[in-house]
Amino acid sequence: MRRSDLPRILPWAVVLAIVGGDAALCARSPGDLDRFLINAILALSAFATLHARMLSLASAGFMAIGAYTSAILAVKVGLPVALSVPCALLLCGIVALVIGLPVLRLSDVYLAICTLGFGEVVRILIVLLPGLTGGPTGANLSTGFPYDAMRKTSPAMIALFLGLLIYLFWSLSRSKTGRAFRAIRERPEAASTMGIDVVAHRSMAFLLSAIIAGAAGAFYAHSVGSLDNGDFRFTRAVDVLSYAVVGGAGQWFGPLLGAGLLTALPILLRDSLGASIGFLRDFAQLPNILTGLALLLVVVFLPGGLVQSFPRRTMPHAGRGARPGTQSGDVPSVEHAGPGAPSARGETPLLAVRDLSRVFGGVEALRDVSLRLEEGRIYGLIGPNGAGKTTFINLVSGLDSPSSGRIIWQGREIQGRPPHRIARAGLARTYQSMRLFAEMSVLENVIVGHHARIRTNVLTTWLRLPRERAEEAAAREEASRLLAHLGLSELADLAAGTLAYGDQRRVEIARALALRPRLLLLDEPAAGMNEVETERLGRFLIDLKGKGYTLIVVEHHMDLIMGVCDQIVVLNFGRTIAEGTPAEVAGNERVREAYLGRD
Amino acid sequence: MDLSLLADPVFLAQNIVDGVSRGALYAVYALGFTLIFGVLDIINLAHAATFMWCAFAGWIVMSQLGLPLPAGLAVSMLAGAGVAALLELLAFRPLRREGSDRLSSMISSIGASLIMVSIAEAVFGVNTRRFPDSVLDPRPFFLGGSAGVRVSRAQILTIAAAFLLTLALGLFIRRTRMGKAIRAIAADQSASRLLGIDVDAVVIVTFLVAGALAGAAGILVGLLTNNIVPGMGAQIELRGLAVVILGGMGSIEGAALGGLILGLVETFAIAYLPGGSDIKDAIAFLILLLILLVRPYGILGHRTSDRA
Repeated sequence: MRRSDLPRILPWAVVLAIVGGDAALCARSPGDLDRFLINAILALSAFATLHARMLSLASAGFMAIGAYTSAILAVKVGLPVALSVPCALLLCGIVALVIGLPVLRLSDVYLAICTLGFGEVVRILIVLLPGLTGGPTGANLSTGFPYDAMRKTSPAMIALFLGLLIYLFWSLSRSKTGRAFRAIRERPEAASTMGIDVVAHRSMAFLLSAIIAGAAGAFYAHSVGSLDNGDFRFTRAVDVLSYAVVGGAGQWFGPLLGAGLLTALPILLRDSLGASIGFLRDFAQLPNILTGLALLLVVVFLPGGLVQSFPRRTMPHAGRGARPGTQSGDVPSVEHAGPGAPSARGETPLLAVRDLSRVFGGVEALRDVSLRLEEGRIYGLIGPNGAGKTTFINLVSGLDSPSSGRIIWQGREIQGRPPHRIARAGLARTYQSMRLFAEMSVLENVIVGHHARIRTNVLTTWLRLPRERAEEAAAREEASRLLAHLGLSELADLAAGTLAYGDQRRVEIARALALRPRLLLLDEPAAGMNEVETERLGRFLIDLKGKGYTLIVVEHHMDLIMGVCDQIVVLNFGRTIAEGTPAEVAGNERVREAYLGRD
Repeated sequence: MDLSLLADPVFLAQNIVDGVSRGALYAVYALGFTLIFGVLDIINLAHAATFMWCAFAGWIVMSQLGLPLPAGLAVSMLAGAGVAALLELLAFRPLRREGSDRLSSMISSIGASLIMVSIAEAVFGVNTRRFPDSVLDPRPFFLGGSAGVRVSRAQILTIAAAFLLTLALGLFIRRTRMGKAIRAIAADQSASRLLGIDVDAVVIVTFLVAGALAGAAGILVGLLTNNIVPGMGAQIELRGLAVVILGGMGSIEGAALGGLILGLVETFAIAYLPGGSDIKDAIAFLILLLILLVRPYGILGHRTSDRA
């Protein structure tokens, strides 16, 4: 069945069924058209956050702010809709910044927690301001003068706004910003160590989401003509979330499908089953139960939503490991210049680490580790499991902050700086447990490394200026060249997650090199590689050194470490127990005791 | 602010009593919530719906069947344990396949919660239910004469329960064999599996305990507030989150402390601030924002990886 036409036809059938069903319902009762359009806008609001791997439950709250602000400005102040709606969006944006800023720098669950109560607080405010909002009894807009004029223009305006939004998300998805969001969605940490400012992107997404929800609220107000704070309960936020979850947050059109499906489903069910099963006709909880079931089932059985079942642009042709990389014994090489000869900086080391310590809840993972790295050399970092090697890499790459101590990069202290700034300063890393962007192609993974160098902004993206296309093409070409030199060209169009283990490790190194770093931190690059691959990796690392790169290699593979490193540091229980050339370290009694003896 | 109230010692003492008992209720609710978070790194947003169903289970046993309080409490705790275990099987276990993505499990628990609340609305309607007076004498004690401080039996019971349950849960986690296994899973799930710990079984036990705690909270809220409705979970959900973050996510003593703080702040805001009762539902949110701004890992929590 996999090979038949069904997988190609099915998605189109789903799209047709949803669009056709919605169109039929709207044709039957044209009053429903507004609702479908508004729900589609709300779905895109949820997409904005979920696509950046954020769970926001604030949509009902922002919808309420947008609805009441625009309605009050239109009815009490007499502003035309063309002014009242933008004012409402402005207010939504300001509120989003106020509640988003403290939360977005924290890990992803806090936004969900914080926005959980937001809608309720907005409803409390609405009740507390009866003079403006009508309080708990609600506000009737139809008594206001501009109402009639607004209602007539509503559906066309909503459709126009929705069209603009679709264009926005479509153009974003094809830009470097869209690529950055896809990277964040898959691997937020890896995205940040590839030079992407995760917090800034998430703030932007949350702001966008709030403004879109506010717009949906404003349109809702002018479409319905009366407001009641009961319209913006928590279940509304859950409905909005369900559109994006059911449709799928991987592609912008997923949530639109989700909204189309979930808006129509309760109506269809009630109409078709209600006639025969009388109980369903008056079953007020039916829509909520359907929403809840949809959320539960999709998260468990179809985590990517409806769009997950759609063919991708870069269709992986082979299964896991089906395609080996270059089988010849050639040592892949890096053609592009690399950092070149050590810069004339006098005595300043490339990286100096002084008395670095990291304590996790009373356990010292790292204790007073000091290091000095000269340019153009390979350093080995070894030690038994739990010795603090990965902690060290995390500290240097900015994923974690030291409890004390300093990290000095080319004469400047960088400890505690966000990972994307450290990456842009020239430190690239790979991960022990690989963190490729699995759904992206190998080529795209590498292009992510160009993120900080592509100088497009939001405006050039939305206008699709030629400069942007030129820059994208240049990045694509350079990434292809890099892949070619690493012998990975054949894999360029495959989804990174489908590659064999060893190939994934090499793609990780390629991705890190795309940052054009001066220092490369490799966390167990040979894990999962066979002997031949490991030997080739060794020669490749020496080649990198020849190009002027400086490397720190964390490894358990002793042959590799002893073969390529100029200098080795041995950690045990978070402390440096030995340091020296491979020969010196191999002869060290404490090292034998702590490490080699146990091997 | 009414300054004359500040000088009234009886009024002050009354608010302390009310605040502590309200806080004790929040603490019992938050204990189960923080247990699941601490062990599994899961934010179970269906804990509030579990709590609501427990209150109704107690109501059925005590109001409809006329059984006494201990029976109501037992059935409610059993119901909570059962519902929580069911949640683990249907909403959380299937998501543990490939590491834990905290957002997916939050979403599935939101879905489960919506279903549970909707069913309760369909079954019980929107009317407020209450436990019969016969299960616990509603007449309060007076400290310092009839004009003194009122303390109800329900308040005493709630404070005692919060104290005992916090203590018992702490001992269970620190001293028992199962507690040790639970802590091992909290520290490193895959390593625990390698050490031969049956992770799924330990997780079920964790959910059973958390559900039983939700059951106790469901009975206590019924006794304290006489207000059992399908929407009652929504009223405590955000408070529970605020309490847990205030105390430090996963910290048992932190949940007790956080509950106490929130209960006192809410009670004092209602008593001393003009319009305090109007904004009481927003206080948890404000505390939440504030703590996330200044100390996101909570009062008793450790600073770990709370960065983006």
